[in-house]
Amino acid sequence: MALKNIEKQLNILDYALSSLWRRRAKSFSILLVFAAIIFLLASFQMVTQSLSDKAKQVLAYTPEITLQKMSAGRQEAIPLAYREQLAGIFGIRRVVPRIWGYYFDEVRLANYTVMGMELENMPEGARLDASLANGKMPGPEARGWVFVGHSIKEALNLDERYTFSLFRPDLTLKAFTVSGEFSRDTDILTNDLIVMNLADARDLYGIPAGLVTDFCVYVANPKEIDTIAKKISTALPSVRVLTRPQIQKTYQVVFGWRSGFGSICLLAALAAFVILAWDKASGLSPEERREIAILKVLGWETSDILATRFWESLIVSGLACILGMTAAYIHVVYFAASLFRPVLMGWSVLRPDLHLLPRMAAGDILLILAFTVIPYLAATVIPAWRSATVPADSALGG
Amino acid sequence: MIIECRDLIKTYPVENTMVHAVNTVNLSVNKGDFLVILGHSGSGKTTLLSLIGGLTSPDSGQVFIDGVENWQQSDRALSTMRNSKIGFIFQFASLIPTLSVMENILLPLSFGRNPAGSRELALDILAQVGLADKARAFPSQLSGGQQRRVSIARSFINCPDIILADEPTGDLDEETEKDILELFRGYNEQGTTFVVVTHNSDLAATQKGARVFSMRQGVLSSQDA
Repeated sequence: MALKNIEKQLNILDYALSSLWRRRAKSFSILLVFAAIIFLLASFQMVTQSLSDKAKQVLAYTPEITLQKMSAGRQEAIPLAYREQLAGIFGIRRVVPRIWGYYFDEVRLANYTVMGMELENMPEGARLDASLANGKMPGPEARGWVFVGHSIKEALNLDERYTFSLFRPDLTLKAFTVSGEFSRDTDILTNDLIVMNLADARDLYGIPAGLVTDFCVYVANPKEIDTIAKKISTALPSVRVLTRPQIQKTYQVVFGWRSGFGSICLLAALAAFVILAWDKASGLSPEERREIAILKVLGWETSDILATRFWESLIVSGLACILGMTAAYIHVVYFAASLFRPVLMGWSVLRPDLHLLPRMAAGDILLILAFTVIPYLAATVIPAWRSATVPADSALGG
Repeated sequence: MIIECRDLIKTYPVENTMVHAVNTVNLSVNKGDFLVILGHSGSGKTTLLSLIGGLTSPDSGQVFIDGVENWQQSDRALSTMRNSKIGFIFQFASLIPTLSVMENILLPLSFGRNPAGSRELALDILAQVGLADKARAFPSQLSGGQQRRVSIARSFINCPDIILADEPTGDLDEETEKDILELFRGYNEQGTTFVVVTHNSDLAATQKGARVFSMRQGVLSSQDA
């Protein structure tokens, strides 16, 4: 009995395959459209996950707490003297001042991110060498030395030379020498970054002595980050306190929002496809209705006809899934998700040339299947069922 | 008795009234009978064939095939009965246009009922209907009459006990019609039961021993002397 059932299913599968082949132009068109939609959805999902992972990985080395002085809702320079008030808060391991800002290059119409730090005072300062692709971090006495991100190197054409100059506010030039380049693995954060000595940054931006843009606060026990952040807020009410988990969450939200926006657009396309499939399938052509009627007359059961349509749809949607997801993987890995970079990478002119490793959880795959294969199966099998339950003679029109 | 109809009624709505396509039909057919039902277009003879073949359900009354009532069976049992016991010949082309002639003929033998030698049997039947050289052709490459002959060949492929034929010789030329009726006679002599509906009264005359009925406004009456 079981053997006969398997043989029957194989016959139905055979008929479904030959049916798809007979309508190969139509089947192939649906397959391509379906695969394209899955490709877009899967690409978005993969690239969002990759960017979130990458950001999480890189942000792991950022300060546990960042402090910025706010005035009238805007950020302003923070006095170095605040360090003394912070020194009284138990649990703070170290407070490192930082000057952080943007530099607009009018020639290349690009914004660079400039960061001046006391690297020697940073707990993770020594480990920063590991984030460099070549060169080394300049020591505290090394004035005028910088390390740069990949796009800065390209934009300033630093392959052939090691020196470049940036304008101070009074339009005098300040010269710098490149001492190292960040690893491409950290592109998401360092791509447009120039890191220098705190004194050099102060000189570049003309920031008076005794002021910096923010403080990096390191705590003794990372589990106490929130508690210490609250203590700082109480002690320094004019200071904005940003914790590392908050910054990580912001990145997740930004990528999530962009991905969500894109996904909504793609889901609209998917909905249009399902409606089209439904319309096409529910409005079975007279030939298709007649074929179903003939099969019924010849002794096919309603369930056999449904099984045929089910196999046809499953083959089309399954192949579309494999094609779409493979194409998405190739798009993300080998083409750095070039279709979505403008949407996902933000406004910067110097967009990081990321090497992403796509990651997709089983849940994501199931979600994509749920949004694509199941509606398509429903859109094709249900109308066939409706047609198969109508008396065969009426469809045959005798 | 291989076919039995008891008080069979089937109505269809036409505009605001119900029209009796089949009106209280009682019919008993023995194995090996050759029935010819004559009637004009719209007399209800096609509906009667559909009711006998289990393609549509009656409003009231019963149809028994080999003692089993059609509409007391499950969809599966009814489908199996149609597949194994009945061969249908419709008055219009009922071929699947995207399948070749051979594939169309073998269609009833799907699902594990595909005995060895079925291809040879199909070729043999095709030869009997004069289309031995058309096995690989597609319906669109055949004339109306040739398509009719393919559907006749298909109705014999599963060696059914009953052939239900609706205007089987409608599109055929005189010579081919003669051949097809000869073919019917041959199968009938081997025990196959035929129920043929037609408006062609000559067809009844050509079949020796045929039981002849006429149908008018859904009412069936015997013309047997």
